[in-house]
Amino acid sequence: MLAHLASFAWDAPSVDLHALAPEIVVAATLVVVLVIDAFTGEEQRWAASSVAGIGLLVALVPVATLAYDGATRVMFGGGYVVDDYALVLKALFLLSGYVVVLLSTNYIAEGDYWEGEYYQLLLASVLGMMVMASARDLISIFVALELLSIPAYMLAAWRKRDLKSDEAGVKYYLMGVFASAVMLYGMSVIYGYTGSTLLAEIAPRIGELVTSEPIITLGIVFVLIGFGFKVSAVPFHTWAPDTYEGAPTPVTAFLAVASKAAGFVALLNLIYVGFWGRHDVYEPLMWVLAALTMTIGNLIALRQTNVVRMLAYSGIAQAGYILAPLAIAGSSPEAADQALHSIVVYLLIYAAMNLGAFAVVMAVARKTRSAEIDTFGGLFSYAPGLTVAMSLFLFSLAGVPPAAGWFAKIGIFQALASAGDTSGYVLAVVVAVNSVIAFAYYGRLMRVMWMDDVPDGDTTPIRVPTSITAALVITAAVTLVIGVVPGVLTHFTDPINLLALGR
Amino acid sequence: MSEYSEFVRQYLTVAIFAAVGIGLGAGLLGLGRIFRPVRPQEQKYLVYESGVDPVGTGWSQSQIRYYIYALLFVMFDVEAVFLFPWATRLEAYSTFGLIEMLIFVVILALGLLYAWRKKVLRWV
Amino acid sequence: MFGLLVAQNIAFYVIAALIVFGALRVVTCKNLVHAALWLVLVLAGVAGQYILLAAEFVAVTQVLVYLGAIVVLFLFGIMLTRAKTGHDLELDNPTPAKVGAGVIGVLLLGVMGYALWDAWRGQELGDIVVQRTAEVSDSLFSTYLLPFEVISVLLLAALIGAIVLARRD
Repeated sequence: MLAHLASFAWDAPSVDLHALAPEIVVAATLVVVLVIDAFTGEEQRWAASSVAGIGLLVALVPVATLAYDGATRVMFGGGYVVDDYALVLKALFLLSGYVVVLLSTNYIAEGDYWEGEYYQLLLASVLGMMVMASARDLISIFVALELLSIPAYMLAAWRKRDLKSDEAGVKYYLMGVFASAVMLYGMSVIYGYTGSTLLAEIAPRIGELVTSEPIITLGIVFVLIGFGFKVSAVPFHTWAPDTYEGAPTPVTAFLAVASKAAGFVALLNLIYVGFWGRHDVYEPLMWVLAALTMTIGNLIALRQTNVVRMLAYSGIAQAGYILAPLAIAGSSPEAADQALHSIVVYLLIYAAMNLGAFAVVMAVARKTRSAEIDTFGGLFSYAPGLTVAMSLFLFSLAGVPPAAGWFAKIGIFQALASAGDTSGYVLAVVVAVNSVIAFAYYGRLMRVMWMDDVPDGDTTPIRVPTSITAALVITAAVTLVIGVVPGVLTHFTDPINLLALGR
Repeated sequence: MSEYSEFVRQYLTVAIFAAVGIGLGAGLLGLGRIFRPVRPQEQKYLVYESGVDPVGTGWSQSQIRYYIYALLFVMFDVEAVFLFPWATRLEAYSTFGLIEMLIFVVILALGLLYAWRKKVLRWV
Repeated sequence: MFGLLVAQNIAFYVIAALIVFGALRVVTCKNLVHAALWLVLVLAGVAGQYILLAAEFVAVTQVLVYLGAIVVLFLFGIMLTRAKTGHDLELDNPTPAKVGAGVIGVLLLGVMGYALWDAWRGQELGDIVVQRTAEVSDSLFSTYLLPFEVISVLLLAALIGAIVLARRD
């Protein structure tokens, strides 16, 4: 027995600490917040938010040094890859995490919430997203998904005395674990067929056949559907509006931006590295999901009277736009390249504009204690700064220059056109029609803000706390700068390359 | 195949033990049922509790604090599961394995530290 | 050798029948606590199948974590709710929901069963390699080192969040 044990060799994996430094910093920040929280009293509660924010910014330093270094670092036999693509997305997650911390500072401190724990869970979730950006292995992807989701389920229910928040948490949790189960079944089938969990080893095994086999189709569809829940693609979106409305608003912003982006990152990793050869399976699925998601999201958004719910449905529609390039990604390497870039660019811009919109909603709700559209009436007369900022974000969401959204949308159209086939053109038309529909509800909120009367005649100015102002400045600056000089963004996104094959 | 057959045979022993255990219990109860006289009375169906008549039903809502202990148990149960494979290869991994396992255990121990400092372990 | 294969097949089908029976009882049982106990049979059966596949570590994990911990958590959860834990007829779904669930269940069984049958029909299971715990350990400490460490943060976060949500304050 012992002789047998000695016979198989084990080599210590090479652990590149530099490549893992961003994750290590975030994990260490979590530990520091926990220890501070455990050993200090009530009066040091503010420290949690500061330490969490600083930790997220410090984690950007190794991201920057890794980007400057430029080398692609592959670890654990290809299961964990730190390249330009992963770094750009890690920066996105860290920055949106930081903005969410800024948004949370006053909200969490003023309510009767558990403060230290809130930031610990937020950091854990951000850590999961960062792992997701580098994960190229089914097990890593699954563990990263759970790490980013489980804290989010609990954060959604953080106002635990409020039934709506409980409902938000329970709905999100039940739908989320159901999606995880479906996805795990798909993963197990793929592993059973290919005998590997590494995406780079899965790709040749499932791509070698001319047409797909039922078992491969089943596996791929189940895995992609699992992430369809995460990005709230129709028909797996039913949790989103209730969860967004019931959850604490900073958590909603986090779910709508960071969590959704992480879902897309997982989809990109899986499709580009693992399922690349099976575009006959994922393209039609993504086509249908994209078309349904943007159309239904927009149509329901038209009828919303609550700004948060409207942003939730608008977010569903935006997810449809982001899914669209995946429907043509497999047609040629050029189209795949275009699609990848358009999706990453869209995710970055979407994060800035959507976080900004939530920041304005939070600032206004501090005075009106409500997020109904009517309460935004006459906002310009007493809060011109917030109105201008909100208009910028709405322009961006609608895709009107000079706000950044136009550049993101152009990217989607270019990607869809680059395939050069009917399905791409038809989907481009669907995107165009939907963009027009979206004008209606963004425009309505705009009209209410600029033209309507103040509903209760109370025109005392809104006092916006420093942290929310900082969040607004960051998001507005990013939205405006990218809108005017898109080169700032493409400088970082151009070197991205994710294809495992054909290069 | 021989290695596999040896492996399954070991577990056959486990299965036989389990079967004998279940069979013994079920068989004795079954024998009792065959031989004992059956004279149902209402009193006989009461729950026996130290000779005192039971109050209320056996089903009732219990305290939420038990749940936190159950959670802690599950967490350290999972930790134990990860300790076993490491233990089988303790010498091969030497320092590397020790460090990795320490990271794992210390991060989990923080959960216990948290529970202790936040006074959820105290039963008041 | 032939005898072993036959014995293995018989054991597989007996355990599989027990699992299916237990699973049906879990969903048809009118008593929540009994349903949780039937779940024990299902999970134990799965552990038995792992043994037949010579995946010892997975089987032991199944017993330790699922039988030992998850079912206990289930029972705790049931006892914590205010719902009647005894015989409860309101536990049932209305008939349309039952029919719908049945149809979807049969459909899924058909699709998944066909896909599995199609992929592996006619293939014989070759020599089953006994999966030693040490081999599991080797992949855990090389290929899957990162997910392994990440799991500790995951468990920590889950514990903290669950304590906050569950504690009385």
